[in-house]
Amino acid sequence: MILKRNRKYLQIALNSTLNEAIEIVRKLPFSERVLIEVGTPLIRIYGKRAISEIRALVPSYIVADTKCVDLASRDIKMAAASGAQAATCLGVAPVETINRFIKDCHKAGIDSMVDMMNVKDPVSALKSLEKAPDVVIIHRGVDETEFSKDKQIPFYQINEIKNNFDVLLSVAGGDTIDEVQRSILNSADIVVVWKDFYQSTDETKDLAKEFLKEIR
Amino acid sequence: MLKRNTKYLQIAFNRSLGEIAKMINLLPLSDRIIIEAGYPLIKNYGTDAISSIRDFWYQKFFGPQEKNLSTKSFKLEMLGIPDLKDLLVKGDYFKNIFQGKISPQKSAVIDPYIVADLKCMDRAFTEVEAAKGAGAQAATCLGLAPLETIDAFIEKCEEIKIDSFLDMLNVEYPFEVLSKLKNLPKVVMLHRGVDEREDNKDKEIPYHQIERIKGTYDDILIAVAGGETVREAITGSFNDADIVIVWKLVNENPENIVEITKEFLGETK
Repeated sequence: MILKRNRKYLQIALNSTLNEAIEIVRKLPFSERVLIEVGTPLIRIYGKRAISEIRALVPSYIVADTKCVDLASRDIKMAAASGAQAATCLGVAPVETINRFIKDCHKAGIDSMVDMMNVKDPVSALKSLEKAPDVVIIHRGVDETEFSKDKQIPFYQINEIKNNFDVLLSVAGGDTIDEVQRSILNSADIVVVWKDFYQSTDETKDLAKEFLKEIR
Repeated sequence: MLKRNTKYLQIAFNRSLGEIAKMINLLPLSDRIIIEAGYPLIKNYGTDAISSIRDFWYQKFFGPQEKNLSTKSFKLEMLGIPDLKDLLVKGDYFKNIFQGKISPQKSAVIDPYIVADLKCMDRAFTEVEAAKGAGAQAATCLGLAPLETIDAFIEKCEEIKIDSFLDMLNVEYPFEVLSKLKNLPKVVMLHRGVDEREDNKDKEIPYHQIERIKGTYDDILIAVAGGETVREAITGSFNDADIVIVWKLVNENPENIVEITKEFLGETK
């Protein structure tokens, strides 16, 4: 695994246009604790060049949010060749796909991240795999957050998963400082934010620093 | 847009754009062919994959040079639609389509029906709009996605006037998902994943679901994906599916695309 245990990371997800993403990346403070996520919309709209163009700008750790659901080997090949250090697979994908994803990530020397969005029982899902991934993502989707205000990020799952598997835990779907603090208090290793980094502003750099301060 | 009581062949393209250009050039012209910008293709090239496929189709139809009217007229006569010639010669082809001077059947042959296999899981709006902007007539969303996402996806597709395909890959009870939605998708895809098929030979295409869904929801078209042989593709269509999706068949044997397409179109109506 490329990521280190016992370290807390801030993952900044880039979901707007590629130009906007490049502007934001240029402003971010360089830190080994800042991970850059090339978001799903960027990959779907610009293809693999979204990853390679950001790779060319900074030496940071890049997560390609491929949200793989089938044809895992092709996704990993594409992500690794474009310069990503990690790729994502959906926890709701067929078990054959997730197994292949984890195995191929390991072979390609990149970290495997399994996104538990819409998975009711992540522990059972993980138990059905041949091998656990490097990172498990607890995720409340953007649409879920927007249209079902009462849906909470299932923080309780963090310890359930950590007690059973030797994995890093990432929390996505909370964007306020309060939610970031709660994630860390609940033993998350990685906190993913995106809303404040949708557009590049004068505050981008300070915001990133502020979030980093909360994540220790 | 897609019609009921018609059998369609959906060809999923996943090779390089150069190879796809050659394959599209070989395809027979038919309004029963649906072109899918495959999921790995979109991840590689983004929405450029869709606009490129569209360009390849136009080049196939109009020739590399738009000004070559004699080639256009020749091809239109071959298709038995000579009246289109005047409209084309007079100029604005697209304007004529919008004004309804070209019937949907005829424009379907000239305008490729492209499905963008986005497999949306969350936050679909941006991607669906980008796909439509690049020339897609339809997009796909995962049946595995949160209900909020599927509802938002279908609503967005209706709003921007493209067809919504719901991909039931790894969904145990597709019927249950449909019963919870605010609005129904235009097409339901019953799907066996490529990784599943390769690593677990026992998993079957859930043909038995077709009758159940069609029996309850009159307006939904069913697409069956995952067939590996022409025979399997034809069986899918005889199982009352409206659309049969082929992937491996054409991507592994691009030189056979003409034969495969003609066999399917000939044996199904």
